[in-house]
Amino acid sequence: MIRISCQEQLLPGETLQDKWEFAQRAGYDAIEVRGRGDFAFRDRLPELRRAARDGVPMPSVCVEMLHFFGAFDADLRRDAVAQMKSQLSVIAEIGGPGAVACTPASYGMFSRRLPPFEPPRSEQDDRAVLIEGLTELGEHAAREGVVLALEPLNRYEDHMVNRIEQAVELIDTVGLPSIKVLADTYHMNIEEDEPTSALVMAAAHLGHVQVSDSNRLQPGAGHLDWAALLGTLDAIGYSGHLAVECRLRGEPVTAVAGIPALLRRHSVGVAA
Amino acid sequence: MTIAPSLDVDSLQAVSTHRDLDRAARRVLVTNWRTRATVPAAKLYPHQWSWDSAFIAIGLRHLSPTRAQQELESLFGAQWRDGRVPHIVFDPGVAMDAYFPGPGFWRSGSSNAAAVPTSGIVQPPAHALAAWAAYRADPAVARIRGFLPRMYPKLARWHHYLLTQRDLGGAGLASIVHPWESGMDNSPAWDAPLSRIEPMPLGSFTRRDLAHAPAAERPTDLDYGRYIRLASDYRDAGYTDSPSVHAFAIEDPMYNALLIAGEHVLADIAAAIGRDPAPHRATAARLTSNLMNRLYDPAAGMFFPRDVQTGEVVRSWSVTGLMPLIVPGLPVARDLVTTALNNRFRLREACPLPSYDLTAPDYDPSHYWRGPGWVNTSWLFWHGLRLHGETTLADDLRARLLQRVHETGFREYVDPLTGAGHGSDGFSWTAALTLDLIRAA
Repeated sequence: MIRISCQEQLLPGETLQDKWEFAQRAGYDAIEVRGRGDFAFRDRLPELRRAARDGVPMPSVCVEMLHFFGAFDADLRRDAVAQMKSQLSVIAEIGGPGAVACTPASYGMFSRRLPPFEPPRSEQDDRAVLIEGLTELGEHAAREGVVLALEPLNRYEDHMVNRIEQAVELIDTVGLPSIKVLADTYHMNIEEDEPTSALVMAAAHLGHVQVSDSNRLQPGAGHLDWAALLGTLDAIGYSGHLAVECRLRGEPVTAVAGIPALLRRHSVGVAA
Repeated sequence: MTIAPSLDVDSLQAVSTHRDLDRAARRVLVTNWRTRATVPAAKLYPHQWSWDSAFIAIGLRHLSPTRAQQELESLFGAQWRDGRVPHIVFDPGVAMDAYFPGPGFWRSGSSNAAAVPTSGIVQPPAHALAAWAAYRADPAVARIRGFLPRMYPKLARWHHYLLTQRDLGGAGLASIVHPWESGMDNSPAWDAPLSRIEPMPLGSFTRRDLAHAPAAERPTDLDYGRYIRLASDYRDAGYTDSPSVHAFAIEDPMYNALLIAGEHVLADIAAAIGRDPAPHRATAARLTSNLMNRLYDPAAGMFFPRDVQTGEVVRSWSVTGLMPLIVPGLPVARDLVTTALNNRFRLREACPLPSYDLTAPDYDPSHYWRGPGWVNTSWLFWHGLRLHGETTLADDLRARLLQRVHETGFREYVDPLTGAGHGSDGFSWTAALTLDLIRAA
């Protein structure tokens, strides 16, 4: 049986408790919260604690910032690492065992497919920065008993980690079981030769999955083969959540309410 | 007040076993998927095989209806101009010498419109059955993709090739012209007709199959030399079909049974897309009558292949003779089931269905098509049992097949009495048909 969570900004309602009411009715199993910078996520702790106490499951946080641990600028890097450590600690408190905090290497900083094509930092230096950041964050995640999920982004959004195998290679190099791969179906559709083959190869390292269709809209609005993707995730033993992170076409409340049914319709596992 | 039925421990355990087996089967299919088609096994068979793809599609439809359609579209994308569907479509991304005989041997050139390198022989026509199964898994998706209207003319041309060019005996049945075309490559049924063939000298080719399986389970070098002789003679004749080209020509029961079952399905497909189903029904009826007259032995309760060169029946008790059970309306279905239940095939105990007579002195449970059981022929027989209302036997065979695969894994072939696995592991059609059997409950 697949488990589906929804990012909080997609759900109608003033409070997390309201959003959870709606989410449950629509067939979601949890909420993925979003973590802003400047320690805004930490500052939400009273709100998050109340929601957790009221039974809102929040097993993952998706970072919502513009700089990340792979930034060119050393100050931004340091800040990103501090923010992520804080988010790991907060999700450890409210997310329960095995909670996940997500981050890409960078976002919107550089693309090798857009001018000026050559990044200001060498591949070797990129790699050193990524390994240093992952090591520090992975050690912190291990101390907190949670998982740091590294998300490959497509070539137009990041120039360092685009494919699942690149993330796996970095994680293997760092060698910390507290770091896993985040597979995002939208980015995979652009970057992987065959998304399901990439999932099979990364099975042991897969820590989180985010879902949206080939056009970044809600599942069902594009051309992804959901049966093959969900059948593969189940077959390789992935038991985490599928977190819905997408833009919505159509009336937003209706659109977001329809996602669990669409995904479950294409989930091919044998019922218990 | 109603009383809830109690779930017994056995059935709960079966559900849990099936769930794990289902997952494992899907892992095999995703692992062996190569973007547009599935390889039969990652190492031994690194390209697309014709009848493998048909059986794979029958199971793959449960993982992804779209992929099941793509599997068949990919194969038929290499269909020859004369209608034949080649038994191997080579993957240009795989080393030329990864499989022998490879593209350099067959030299298919521009025989198909896409000029994709292929072999020049064919395999059993299970494709119409597979196309219909793929369609039925998700008719809405199939309609969006235009699957049936695109596949129908290709399937019809494929059958037409077999019904015309391959009617070498002139009796209205299709002939195979190479043991590999039977799908049951090394069956004892082909020993006598094959013995007339002058083998190619051993030094003139290098086998690749022995790198992946023990020699004792594979065909002998002498037989392999004969396979290569037949294939090169056919190639050197420009792949034209005539009795003078083909020193080996056999009317095989399973081959023709699949063709007949396929014509029945083509009638259904024709009807579904607004074409006339009647010609296909007529062909099926005519072929069934020919099959009965030419290949059925009422005293034996068995179908036997007929050697077109000598006109003689090949009285070899191989599993091919039971396969006409898949023909709708077969008048001797009950007799075939009785034969399957007797000592030669022991339907109630042996599993998978043995490829050859268990009582024969040369029965060999580990040798390629000379004794061991395959899941695909067992699946076909199961399908036939259901078709003819033998549901108890069908359900029993299904349960034992799933148990066998659960214990042995997704092996290419299996000792039907001990369950010892042989050949390749992670074999695609074993996994695919397991998925189908699980979901047939």
